[in-house]
Amino acid sequence: MPLVLVTILLPIVAGAILFVLPRNDRGVSRTVGTAVAVVTFVTLLAARDGEWSFRWLSRPFAAAFHFGATPVSFWIALLLAICTASAIAASRVGRTRDFVALMLMLEGTMLGLFLARDLLVFALFWDLMLVPVFFVLIGWGEHPATAWRYFIYNFAGGLTLLLATAAFGVIYGSTDVIGRAGAHLAGGWAGWIYAGFAFAFLVKTPIWPLHTWMPPTYSGLPAPMVAVVSAVQSKAGLYGFLAIALALMPEYVHGAALVLMVLGAISLIYGAVIALVQTDAKRVVAYSSLSHLGLIVLAVASGNSLALKGALVYIIAHGLFSAALFLLLGFVEEREETRSLLRLGGLGWKNPRLAGALCIAALAALGLPGLAGFAGELVILIGVYQAGYVWPVIVALVAIVLASAYMLRLYQDVMNGPPDADVPVRADLTWLEGLAVAPLLAALFVVGVDPAPLLHP
Amino acid sequence: MTPPFTHADWAAITPVTIVAVAALLVLIVDLFSGQREQRYVSIGIALLGVLAAGVYAARQFGHDHDAFFGGFMTGGFATVFQEIILIAAAGSVILYAAIGPGQRIAGTTAIMLWSACGAMLMAGAANLLMIFLGLELLSLGLYALCAASDRKTARESALKYLILSSTATGFLLFGSALLFGATGSVRLADFVNPMLASNPLFWTGAGMFLIGLAFKLSLVPFHTWTPDVFEGAPLPVTAFMSVATKAGTLAVFARFIYASLPSTVGERLLLPVWIIAGISMIAGNVGMLAQHDLKRLLGYSGIAQIGYILVALAGSTPLGLRYALYYLAAYAFMNLGAFAVAASISGDGEEGSQLRTYHGLARRRPWLAAAMTIFLLALAGLPPTAGFLGKILILATGVSSGYLWLAALLIVGTAISLYAYAKVIRVMYERPEGEEPRDLRPFVPLAWLSAGICAVAVVAMTFYPLTPSNVLPLVR
Repeated sequence: MPLVLVTILLPIVAGAILFVLPRNDRGVSRTVGTAVAVVTFVTLLAARDGEWSFRWLSRPFAAAFHFGATPVSFWIALLLAICTASAIAASRVGRTRDFVALMLMLEGTMLGLFLARDLLVFALFWDLMLVPVFFVLIGWGEHPATAWRYFIYNFAGGLTLLLATAAFGVIYGSTDVIGRAGAHLAGGWAGWIYAGFAFAFLVKTPIWPLHTWMPPTYSGLPAPMVAVVSAVQSKAGLYGFLAIALALMPEYVHGAALVLMVLGAISLIYGAVIALVQTDAKRVVAYSSLSHLGLIVLAVASGNSLALKGALVYIIAHGLFSAALFLLLGFVEEREETRSLLRLGGLGWKNPRLAGALCIAALAALGLPGLAGFAGELVILIGVYQAGYVWPVIVALVAIVLASAYMLRLYQDVMNGPPDADVPVRADLTWLEGLAVAPLLAALFVVGVDPAPLLHP
Repeated sequence: MTPPFTHADWAAITPVTIVAVAALLVLIVDLFSGQREQRYVSIGIALLGVLAAGVYAARQFGHDHDAFFGGFMTGGFATVFQEIILIAAAGSVILYAAIGPGQRIAGTTAIMLWSACGAMLMAGAANLLMIFLGLELLSLGLYALCAASDRKTARESALKYLILSSTATGFLLFGSALLFGATGSVRLADFVNPMLASNPLFWTGAGMFLIGLAFKLSLVPFHTWTPDVFEGAPLPVTAFMSVATKAGTLAVFARFIYASLPSTVGERLLLPVWIIAGISMIAGNVGMLAQHDLKRLLGYSGIAQIGYILVALAGSTPLGLRYALYYLAAYAFMNLGAFAVAASISGDGEEGSQLRTYHGLARRRPWLAAAMTIFLLALAGLPPTAGFLGKILILATGVSSGYLWLAALLIVGTAISLYAYAKVIRVMYERPEGEEPRDLRPFVPLAWLSAGICAVAVVAMTFYPLTPSNVLPLVR
């Protein structure tokens, strides 16, 4: 069996098997889940150059179950594998067996999405990856309405993606086009097809004004899952822009670049301003994601090759630090039973390890040189400037200043200052928790110091 | 004097005959079987009959023959529809095993098989008389079946169905008469005559004929009977109606638009049909939102699903018919599966199909809940199910045949439907809050088995999309 297929099926099958096994000790399912995620990471590394294809449809258009990593998708898939392993290792929620099983299924479906070389398979996994998150939202979420919003927004995006894929297939004759040199569509309906793709991608990213599903979803999901969703699932839209829209229909991306620029710029500022005033720690990170991903949308819209390289670096960087932030805030919430910035405070004195980890993640998020966030931001800004867009660069710089403000505020309100009287300070990071977050933090340093493999994939 | 019908004519309707004889056997053997085993004897004979008919019908695939002077056509088209109808019959007969113990089911089983015979006749019918014969055979059985329960709503349901269905048949019959008047023939193939485009009698006749079919397909605005009848009728009957009636009627509709309409007439005559198909997709899905009863919900869902299938037929392209058949087969499995789960949970109780019965099902019957989730995802068109692939095939057909607006309505309708389907999933998987658990039925092997088979079929059809390739030449 080809390794690339194993990589996708392993987490899905393992998740299904976990469901069938009897309910067990929380530690067992967590260990099994982490082990599966680590093995998936290894097979993914080994499957870097592998490809696998199986004919699916020959009419009305050719489609195939065609999987294989492209230079861009390989890194995102790697990010996914790391994040999932960390998140499962850090999982301490009720009904652990079911939760870990859903986490593994989420990983499998997203690996399928990123490794898909066929648009129809991409669309299939696009819808499929909503399902585990939906189940977690109804089973573990804080508020049932959140599940609806998440599902219906994203599914609406999925439907336009589906229609666009069908139209693409009918016109082009094949959907087996991701990463294929020379595949290109223009004229006729192509503009509408691009619009269908773009809508789906923008909902998923999300971008203002389609973002309203995101803050409640991110704050309602348990920390381990939101770490993966914000780190990787939200990148599906940006990956779509890079691998599908820009590769197949670049004229239309350029033609509508101004729309993307404006939406990206609004998201940058809007997300940053809201993040400044939120009192819910998870929501601060959620809105900061809106802001950060707006920067990547700017890069996509500029179409500049340097900016696009920077986009990949920043996709990875954002994935790493947002996963770390959500996991660490999850540890905080688990200890203090609140994540309100008004009540938290002073944890740093007794919890130096937790504070240090949060500090690194927050510094990466605000773009400190030497950490991954800076590398991505800098390259994107240079690229966008080279493409001749000056005002978006200025907007982005303002947002980066704001990022320092809200990230420092987040850190201050949680770790510094006097402890709140009725929120007792509990024990520091255990070695297991530390081990779970460590790969993410280490990767932040590595990418920050040497982003070259990402820049020249 | 040579006999009017040849051996080949009788061979053509052998699958129908087998099912009819099996129904007779069910009745006869029931007289001689004891209390304890009679249910299983009835079901066993019925299933064997259906299986034999299915095998025989499959052997006819690709051997086209105009039996009874062009009244009944065998071949790919009829075979595929007949197999779907037989699957529906088998699934529904099995569900009788799941509903209330102690009921004598020989009579209802036999009637259901005879109804299936009617639908199978419709699948091959190629002249107006045969269509009428099939339709009446199908409907007469269903009137009786709808009433075959002790509940008050069952009688209401039967009466409603009788009245509205008779009205529909009236339309169909009157339309048939006018068509005969206009063309001097009852054979569908004889309508392919461009001269008819200027004949008002033909237009009126064809219009009334289509209205009759629209009633049976429960397209808006002829859909109002569906939820009420579905809710009142016994569960196996609802399952049967939701698939077999639609399959039979769809066969007639497809043959009518593919084989008997001159192209000059087709587009203008059928435009209203596509419009009501579009409205059905929206109205059916909107209607589903407010439902608290699974049978009603699936009734509304069926209205929308037929709309989806018609999108594939719009434009009358050869590929469209294939994909319509693919989706119909997928729909048969997902619907029968959903009813099988419903039967395994609640039987035929007065409030058995209420959504609140499903509360917390995931904890108490995880396998059933998982199967139900697959069926609901399939109905909503989400992967990894045949509903997803079916929908994309239909979208592709709609786009390539120029009916982009229908494809867009399909997308809107699907988006609306999602809420309703996800509502059921949520009820099953939500953490139960305070409510005392309702009594669930004990393990019902046959119903569980059919739910399982349907779930496997629904998933497997995604990856092995069997669309019979030589269907279209055999319509004519």
